[in-house]
Amino acid sequence: MNEITPVRVALCGSPNSGKTSIFNALTGSSQHVGNYPGVTVEKKTGLYHHEGIAFEVRDLPGSYSLSSFSPEEAIAQKELVDDRPDVAVVVVDSTALKRSLVLLAQIMQNCSRIVLCLNMSDEAKASGQRIDLPLLESLLGFPVVETVGHKGLGVPLLREKIASVQHSTVDRRRLTLGERLETAIGRIVAALEKTAIDRAGLEWTATKLLQNDSLFVERVRALGADGEAAIACAQEVRREIEQFTGEDIGFFITRRYYGFVDGLLKEVLISPPHIDTRVLSDRIDAVVVHRLLGIPIFLAVMYGIFWLTFTVGAIPMDWIDQFFGFLSRAISDAWPADTALEARSLIVDGIIAGVGGVLVFLPNIVLLFLGLAVLQDSGYMSRAAFLTDRLMHRFGLHGRSFIPMVTGFGCTIPGIMATRTMENERDRLTTMMVLPLMSCGARLPIWLLLIPAFFPGDFHATMLFAIYFIGIALAFGLSLLLRRTLLRGEEAPFVMELPPYRMPTARSVVNRMAMSSWLYVKKAGTIILAISILMWALTTYPRHEESTPVADAAADRHSQSFRDLEHSIAGRIGRFIEPVIAPMGFDWKIGVAIIGAFTAKEVFVSQLGVIYSLGEQDQNSETLRDMLRRDYSPMIGFSLMLFLLIATPCMATLAITRRESGHWKWAALQFGGLTAIAWLLSTAVYQIGSLFFG
Amino acid sequence: MSDDLPNTDLSESLEDYLETIFELVRDHKVARIRDIAAARDVRSASVIPAMRRLAEMGLITYEKREFIDLTPEGDMTARRIYARHRTLTRFFRDVLGIPNDIAQKDACSLEHSLSDEGMDHIVRFLEFISSCPEGGSVLARFRNCALVNGESRTCSGGCSVSASERMQSIAKTVSLRDLKPGQSGTVIRIDGTGPVRQRILDMGLIPGVHVILERVSPAGDPIWIKYQGSQLSLRRKEAQRVLLERSPSP
Repeated sequence: MNEITPVRVALCGSPNSGKTSIFNALTGSSQHVGNYPGVTVEKKTGLYHHEGIAFEVRDLPGSYSLSSFSPEEAIAQKELVDDRPDVAVVVVDSTALKRSLVLLAQIMQNCSRIVLCLNMSDEAKASGQRIDLPLLESLLGFPVVETVGHKGLGVPLLREKIASVQHSTVDRRRLTLGERLETAIGRIVAALEKTAIDRAGLEWTATKLLQNDSLFVERVRALGADGEAAIACAQEVRREIEQFTGEDIGFFITRRYYGFVDGLLKEVLISPPHIDTRVLSDRIDAVVVHRLLGIPIFLAVMYGIFWLTFTVGAIPMDWIDQFFGFLSRAISDAWPADTALEARSLIVDGIIAGVGGVLVFLPNIVLLFLGLAVLQDSGYMSRAAFLTDRLMHRFGLHGRSFIPMVTGFGCTIPGIMATRTMENERDRLTTMMVLPLMSCGARLPIWLLLIPAFFPGDFHATMLFAIYFIGIALAFGLSLLLRRTLLRGEEAPFVMELPPYRMPTARSVVNRMAMSSWLYVKKAGTIILAISILMWALTTYPRHEESTPVADAAADRHSQSFRDLEHSIAGRIGRFIEPVIAPMGFDWKIGVAIIGAFTAKEVFVSQLGVIYSLGEQDQNSETLRDMLRRDYSPMIGFSLMLFLLIATPCMATLAITRRESGHWKWAALQFGGLTAIAWLLSTAVYQIGSLFFG
Repeated sequence: MSDDLPNTDLSESLEDYLETIFELVRDHKVARIRDIAAARDVRSASVIPAMRRLAEMGLITYEKREFIDLTPEGDMTARRIYARHRTLTRFFRDVLGIPNDIAQKDACSLEHSLSDEGMDHIVRFLEFISSCPEGGSVLARFRNCALVNGESRTCSGGCSVSASERMQSIAKTVSLRDLKPGQSGTVIRIDGTGPVRQRILDMGLIPGVHVILERVSPAGDPIWIKYQGSQLSLRRKEAQRVLLERSPSP
């Protein structure tokens, strides 16, 4: 292993170019992907070694062009312009070369060491497309590699080429943008050279000045009088071009990029694509997004995922449940009588009840993420956006809100991250604010605990669907409200690519599933373990002086334990907030669990587990659900589910909302607003419901 | 456009040398005296004085027995000459339809003698042909025209476009939002300004591209289009900006 700083490789490409599969194939098992809660998401970095040299690969957000329109594009541009990677790997979709190569042209204005990666080359070949690679390499002046990312084909060669360009000092790029534009850029570059600006990427800065990109204009202006001169020069050149061509500059420049790409393709395409490889995909679309069938199929797919999660997931869930029950009984039985009872209580009532209560839901989490991964990888997500955009639009959201919101079913945090693809700040904020209403994976354990506790078996899947549906409906209502009040204004355009359906590879699906499941387990082993122990302590101490459970009569034990619990710190906190939550039908025990749920939603389940496990001292294996059923009416159960669905997004969500919105006020509004709505709704449901059902 | 270019007063042969070096450096990464001699079909001995002269002018780096490379200034000058060469080749070959080898030869001899003014007009003309929505069809008509091909003295096509025909062509202009599923057209222009337009352009919807409206969302919006192997969904509001020349329905 090499100790010197690794070679920094930036992976750029448009969305759907298979950039991520290249990233995974390049970095292999040594990657430390942080694309999940709490970890920095925008910087996905992986490390690999090639012939003793370390390469650090950075996966830039996918963007169609380098600009500052959407946050993702801005990040990609910033990484290239400011962080100046040693090598830029441009991943393009070989089946859509014309469009993809425009990004390459822009990157050529930016970086000198480039490797072009023609991804999905198998699909391109199947369509009959043949490229003269050596010619392309010599025309561009840097290496070109054909790859099939998800199979890892061509990746060793890619590594080799990256290594070969990383120490090249001669710049052989050959970008031809037509005499007029090149002269124009040359003039601005000459003006920029008089300033103190970084010499790297001058051409790009010049192009951006020509386009009057505010970000770059500000930067150059900061350089003083010379900077002003360069800006003036750019303005002059722009005016000349616009007057002469009668086109606005953005159009003119884009045309020149396409001109370069067209010229290039004319030379290197030995045979253009002539076989339609999308026949099957198009046939599927003819049914899946059919005028009449589209919406029913969409609903069926969504329902199918919930069915999979709940009904199928219940089977392995039982096994895990039984295992923990067996474990706690075994420990209790094997424990030497009357010695270190505190420790036994900590292990059985604190740790096993808390962590076990959360781990039980692992199968459901795995299945939910399996469903989402398949939807994402197959390409159905963009169809769903196509089907739902009108509806979303009507409620002040955007077709692009769809993917973040569906991601929110997995976890709110990546959902909020995913709002970056949205260009309009108001659309983005609206989506962010209502995203916690998408019932996340961490809330699933709550539903799985509460629904069977309060509702008969036939209604389980329906109830689960209903809870998700209520969340969605509320999100729509709320976003409409936001767009009419705080976030009024112009909406962003909806222009979305529809990639062909692709068979999700087992590797990628399992990868995603394993990743999210592992993080769930890790959370259970760390945060939830810690909170379980804390909760155990809070519910155990201070002890009730006169209570000596061993001496008590058996009949008295039950109520005695609850008195102990009430006396504890947790009990007192619960009692303290009881007046506030009482209108919703909740008592202090639920209150304690709700507070715990603020740290992470699934903690609610372990909290109840700990409370009830301490309250119930007898070894009679009454499950938590039975106890809940005994203590609360279905009306309270429903009111509780509503409250947990809407109120208090978890800490991590608030933190990410603050970071992504750039301001605490949005996080505060999210927290306060949602909690207030939750309280009002739950109270209304409980109070009105109680009138009818006693 | 020539005002800000370095005026180096290169002789024709020096320009040729510079161009040769540029091509060699591009294709083989290095340029050596004997490669240059071979490419220009002269003896190595006659190359050397020219190299000295170019080095004096600061256009190349040249030391005895070393590789020759272009200085930034030399690179720019070479590119300019090369661009002239390519522009002329394009004009002869792509516009006038002269076979490639003859076009190359003519470009070689004209690139030195043509005035900047004349050059500029050719550039403008090429610019017009590639930017004007009608450009492609004008060229196609020119090539297919029986008069030009000397086959006939009378035009068989619609040489005298009547007012009514012109009206028809305007009537053929529709916005993408007005197409019905299955109908298609060729992009003429994208209206409006700003990010929305730029996004549409970035997605490859540029003049000359043939677009088919595939379907409309069950809710009536957005629409789904196909073009050049890509498929895209966009709202009617955005689609309105995309103006097409409607293709005859199949």
